[in-house]
Formats: sequence, structure tokens, C-alpha cells
Amino acid sequence: MRNKKRVVVTGIGIVSSIGVGKDAFWKGVINGRSGVRNITSIDVEPFKCRRAAEVKNFKPQEYINPKKLKFLGRTSQFAIAAAKLAVKDANIKTFSPFEDKVGVMAGTTVGERPMEEIVENWARGNKEKVTKQKVLQAAAYNISDNVAIELGVKGTSALIPTACSAGNYAIGYAYDCIRSGSLRFALAGGAESFSKIAFAGFQRLYAMSDDVCRPFDLNRKGMMLGEGAGMLLLEDIDSAINRGANIYAEVLGYGLSCDAHHITAPNVDGVSLALSKALKDAGLKPEDVDYISAHGTGTPANDKIESQAIRAVFGKHADSLYVSSLKSMIAHTMGASCAIAAGMCSLALTEKIIPPTINYQTPDPECDLNYVPNEAIGADIKVVVNNGFAFGGNNCCVVFGAV
Amino acid sequence: MRDSEEKIVITGLGVIAPNAIGKEDYWQALNDGLDGVKKITQFDTSDFKVKHAAECSSFDAKEILGKKGLRNIDRKTLLLCCAAKMALDDAGYSITEENNADIGASTGTTLSVAWDMLKFTQEMVDEGPNMVNPALFPPTTMNFPSSQMSIKFGMRGFNTTISTGYTASLDALAYAITQIRDKRVSASLVCGVESLSISNFIGFDRIGFLAGINGPELSCPFDQRHNGIILGEGSAVLLVESERSALSRGAHIYAEVSDLSFSFDSYRTMKYSRNPAGLITAIKNLLHSKNILSQEIDSIFLSANSATIQDYHEAQVVKEIFRDIDVPACAIKSMIGETISADGCFQIAAALGAMKNNKIYPTINLKKKDPSCDINVSKKSRDKKQDRILITGYGPGGHSAAVFLNKYEK
Repeated sequence: MRNKKRVVVTGIGIVSSIGVGKDAFWKGVINGRSGVRNITSIDVEPFKCRRAAEVKNFKPQEYINPKKLKFLGRTSQFAIAAAKLAVKDANIKTFSPFEDKVGVMAGTTVGERPMEEIVENWARGNKEKVTKQKVLQAAAYNISDNVAIELGVKGTSALIPTACSAGNYAIGYAYDCIRSGSLRFALAGGAESFSKIAFAGFQRLYAMSDDVCRPFDLNRKGMMLGEGAGMLLLEDIDSAINRGANIYAEVLGYGLSCDAHHITAPNVDGVSLALSKALKDAGLKPEDVDYISAHGTGTPANDKIESQAIRAVFGKHADSLYVSSLKSMIAHTMGASCAIAAGMCSLALTEKIIPPTINYQTPDPECDLNYVPNEAIGADIKVVVNNGFAFGGNNCCVVFGAV
Repeated sequence: MRDSEEKIVITGLGVIAPNAIGKEDYWQALNDGLDGVKKITQFDTSDFKVKHAAECSSFDAKEILGKKGLRNIDRKTLLLCCAAKMALDDAGYSITEENNADIGASTGTTLSVAWDMLKFTQEMVDEGPNMVNPALFPPTTMNFPSSQMSIKFGMRGFNTTISTGYTASLDALAYAITQIRDKRVSASLVCGVESLSISNFIGFDRIGFLAGINGPELSCPFDQRHNGIILGEGSAVLLVESERSALSRGAHIYAEVSDLSFSFDSYRTMKYSRNPAGLITAIKNLLHSKNILSQEIDSIFLSANSATIQDYHEAQVVKEIFRDIDVPACAIKSMIGETISADGCFQIAAALGAMKNNKIYPTINLKKKDPSCDINVSKKSRDKKQDRILITGYGPGGHSAAVFLNKYEK
């Protein structure tokens, strides 16, 4: 038996519709800002819904050499920016001489934007627009690989496309690799840029709200689409202490499950299994948890199933838990959603503030937990669970603790 | 608690390959040097100069899965589910209410999703976004095949998809081993799958990677005529479990996965690195961590794919690692083509047969060796004891992997 290392969060990088950089993002979160606006990046004429949470003021040249930009899809640009913000936030100048012990783990749902451009051009018969340069940027693994290349990372680069919980999968795997000693540092998170396929697909598949996203509210109309990226710099606690790093939170464990039930419908048993495995992995009892950052998509089914699962796992303690949904503010950023929420959880543990669920007006008898309606509140929280569920019933819940 | 001493073993195997279906036929085909490359039948190739690929042309999902429930299931998912069923049956692993949370699925797949994205987008362009068939949307996500597989067989432990391109199924193996060692599950399917479609073909054609653009249309690793890859498809699935779990089930054990090692060494995505330093590092780390001398390795399965630079890099790696030891090697991509994310599992599946039958497989289409690739490959099958096999995973973009398989001993 080897001694396991403890894993901590020492850097947070966020690109979101309510702010780029962790400070701007956090200010937006505790003030309950909404990033949902009228869509400007695509022609919305043929669509029923016309609103989403796009990242409107992203300036990639602030993070990436402008000469390289034409070789990088928008999702890679988001991921690189978030990763560089996390590294800067962690006060790391260089990974040298440990670059072989650094990994990048990134989640996504759709993958790279140029892939969508290629298939659209081909579908429209514009075959000459399917160029070598676009093809080189199209594969999803560009997202993690480009981050690794930009940062000089040589340990590993893994793209984990487990859809809407992918950010949590990436954080979980990075946690495993650091805990076992195979990595010393990892950039773990997820990225997603606004996707026409997802925008059309979700509208056809579920109800999509056409004004705002109101998770857990009786009158919730559905999910909304967003974009952005979140990256955490994770490292082993000894390394963090030795270099005098600011520690936001500790990753205490995580739980995975698969619904094995339905490709798009959420399932109480599958979600409950992931939650209880997460607690077991972290060596905690239900009563130890103070706050749950909910998956909370705002669809009628998800919010009801998630509330039921929390009640099933936490029993009476469910009444003492705080539960809120970041998606009420930045909508569903898919592969980035768990990663951005993980940044939020880490900040909540440091700042002792619980982010609200905004747009909450009318309680739903089937969603009967404390959703921190509309206003952030201060609370001395020590343990937070970050929920992530996805297409295919690929569930992952990560547990963070105050240090 | 993680038990780093616990052995990880392979107890089940399912294969849908371009040159054979099922493990026995696959091993036989590899030993006979059976070429899986043929004229493409799945789509019209008139837009392209290249006309050949390694298709799984005799594959019929109905024969393996039965007729029910296959409507609306795409080709890559069918390939995966069929290979998975074969692996579970081969391992004698029955999934029940009691053990279904104790088995997970870890799947490597990357590029085949482009076909489903194209299908969805074509309908969006033709019919308008409000008329698209919603059933076409879920398959546009990369985790769809693995999730369908878990639904089909009721596996609830975990379900993870890894899309790192050429090394994806080896990355998926590493992921599954982590989950087993950390005692989150005791068994996992480890899968690799890619399907052939016009969308993948467009991509490889545009970037000039295909054999036939600048030379003969041939998958001939290490031969003078090598000029690019022949695209392949298929699925290989392994059942991997802890030794304890395998022994308690009384399962047949094919081999032990001694360890894996990875490295990332890239300056541009989709481009070959200037030299194979990353792969050399991965192999050196692996041998070092397991205390193995290079002379103790019986053969090496190379991921050489007939792309001139890749063959050259892998030959360089063999020379650097083995120096004056003349280790026998083979490149199965000469027969099954470049199956990208499925390759790692195809290689392991092949190595298990080599180990069982003590064979070194041929590397076909080898007429005259490229002098810069002077390594010990042969166009004929050879007999030699195979207890310790090294496998490489390599490709453009800088991902490198190495796996070491051991004959199982209690």
C-alpha cells in the first residue's frame, strides 16, 4: 500500500458569460447576474429560441499570440485562456523542471467549433471550404492538446467527452493521477463554445426556455445554452505548501455512475448512486455536506429527479442543505459546466458565501429543497458537492472541502 | 484504499476487425497475413483519388445482437456493442442486479462522431432546424456509443469515453485500471471503436495522410513504398478486472497488464513531432518502473501505420531502446489499417493471441524494407515463445503510449 497524496485547488481560471477571470466571475455570481442575452454569433432567424449565454467580450489575443489564433478553434481558445488564468492565479511562472509530471484533462460535449464548420460546409455543398487548415483544427482532442502545447505540458493530455458532466470527469481523473503520484500538477476542467448543433438539438429534444433559465421553479420552461471554459490548477498538497501557494479547497473524492437506463432521460437511481459513491470515496457521511452545487439545468425532468435523488441520499439532512444552480446565471455550458461550477465551489469554500439560484419565483412541490433563491448568503461551509449529469446517464459528483 | 500491488488481468476479448470477426478468427487471420483492405463500399468515393480502406465488410450486427432494438443505432455503436457482447460472453461475466454497479466501461473513440454530426447538420440544412429528427442529436456526442453499450448490457459502475485520437483506447485502459486499483469497481470493459464514413475520409484526404495520394494505395509499414495510411474501422473490447475478481469467478486469464506509460510531446496538433522522444520516454519509464531489461522482452507490437514518418520514428524507437538486441517486431496495421482510437485494443487483442500460440505475426506488404527502418519484421509468421510483449501507441500530434503485457502467473 502506498500513501496517497492529498490534492488541492490552487488556481482557478474562468471564461464565462458573466465575467472572464475568477474575480469578475465571482462578482457576477454573488450578485446573481445573468449572462443570457439575444444571440449574436449565429443567424437565429430559423430557430424558435433566440437567446443564450454567449461570452460576448472575449479577447483571445490577451492570452494567445495573435499569430497563432488562426490555427485555434474557439473552444481551444477558451480552454487556453482559462488554463492560463488558472496558472497565473496559482502564481506559477513555469512548470519546468516538472513538465513531465504535469497533465491536462479537459472535458467537452461537442468538441471543436471547426468540426461544425466543416460538416456544415460539406452539407451545404461548399466542399472547397473544407480546407486542410480547418481539418487540422477539427478533432476534439485539439482542446486539451492545445492547452498542453501552449503551457509546455509533457505529462499527459486527455480529452474526456462525457458530455455535460465532462468537467467533473476531468477533475476526478486528474485527482486520481495526482493522488497516485503519477502527476504533480494538473490543469483539469472543460470548455465549450456555442454550438449550432447543440442549440438545434436541445430545442428538438427538450423544452428550451426562450427568456431566462429558472432551475427548480414551478414554472421552469427548460434549459438554455451557454458557452465558456473553466480550468482548475490541481496539485498535491505538499507541493502547494512548499511553494507557499494559496489553497482554495481540497478535492476530497468523487463518485461515478452510469444510469444504464435511457440516453437522454435522467434517472433517480443512477444519480443517487453517483452521490453516495462520492460520499464514500471522500470518507464522509451525508451530514458532513453543507452545500450542493446542483446540475440544475432548468428542465422539468432534471430538476425534479435531482431533488429526489438528493433527498434519497441525504435523508433528513436534505432539509439542512443549501442547493443552488449556477445554470440559472450562465445557462448550460455543457462540457464546461461542471468545471466552471467547480471553480465556483472552490471560491464558495474560501469566501464562505453560497451562490444563489436566480430567476426563482414559485416553489415547485416536487422540488422541495433550499435552493438559495435569488440572493447569495453567507455561511460557514466546509464541504461542497458539485453535481454533474449527462447524456447517456454518465454521472459524476465531486466533493470539495475547505482546507 | 488503493492497492498498487493488485494485479490487473484480462479475462475477456471481443473483436470485430476488417480481416476477421471473433478472437480465434482474428488470431488466425493475423497469423496467415490476411489483408483486410478492400475497395470501399460504404460510400461513394468518386470525390477522392483514394478508393480503398479496411472495412469490416462482413459485419452484421443482427447476427451477434439479434434483430431487436437496433433501429436508429449508428455503425460505430453497433460495432462497439457487438465486440462488447463477445467480450462479456468470452469472459463468462454475467451482469446481475447484484454486480451491475461493480463493472464500468471505458471507451476510446474520437473521429467517427463526425459522421453523426454531418447527418444531423445535413438534415438541419435540408429541412430547417425546427424539423430535425431529435433522435439524430444524441449520437453527435462522443460518449454516445459507450453509453448505449452500458444501457444494452446494464453496466452501472461508471461510463467514460476518452478521445485522445491515436492512443485513445490505451488511455481508456489506463483509466479503467485506475478505477479498479482505487477499488471503485472490480471490473471494466475497455473498448476501442472507430467506424469508417465519408466524413473521416474527407478529413484524412484533405490533410494528405492517405496512402495513394502520393504513391501506391497500400498499407505497407516499413516497406520502401510506404506513403500514408489506409483508414480502418472496427472495434476491439477487453474485459479487464482485478486478479481477485477474476480468481473468485474462476475466470480464464489471458494475461496480466503489467503497466502502461504515457507522454505528450507536441508542437502542433495533428503534426508529427520532429523526433519520437515522447515515445522513447514512455517506454523507458515503463521498463524502469517495472524493472525490466529490454532483453527480457519477447516481441514488440508497433503502431507503425505506413505513414513514412511514423514508420521511421517507430524504427528509431526500437533501435534506441533495444540497441544491439534484435527484438522481433510486427505491425498489424499492415492488415487492419489505421483504426485510430480502436488501435490500442486491437493491438492488445492481437498480442493475447500471440502469447497464447507463441507466434510472431507477419507484417504484410513487405517487399523491400526501407533502409531507414531496418528492424526485425518479417512477412512470414514465426514461432517463438511469447511471455512478455511490449505494445506501442503513437501518431501525429504527440501522444505516445506504451503497454507491457505479461503471461499470467499466480
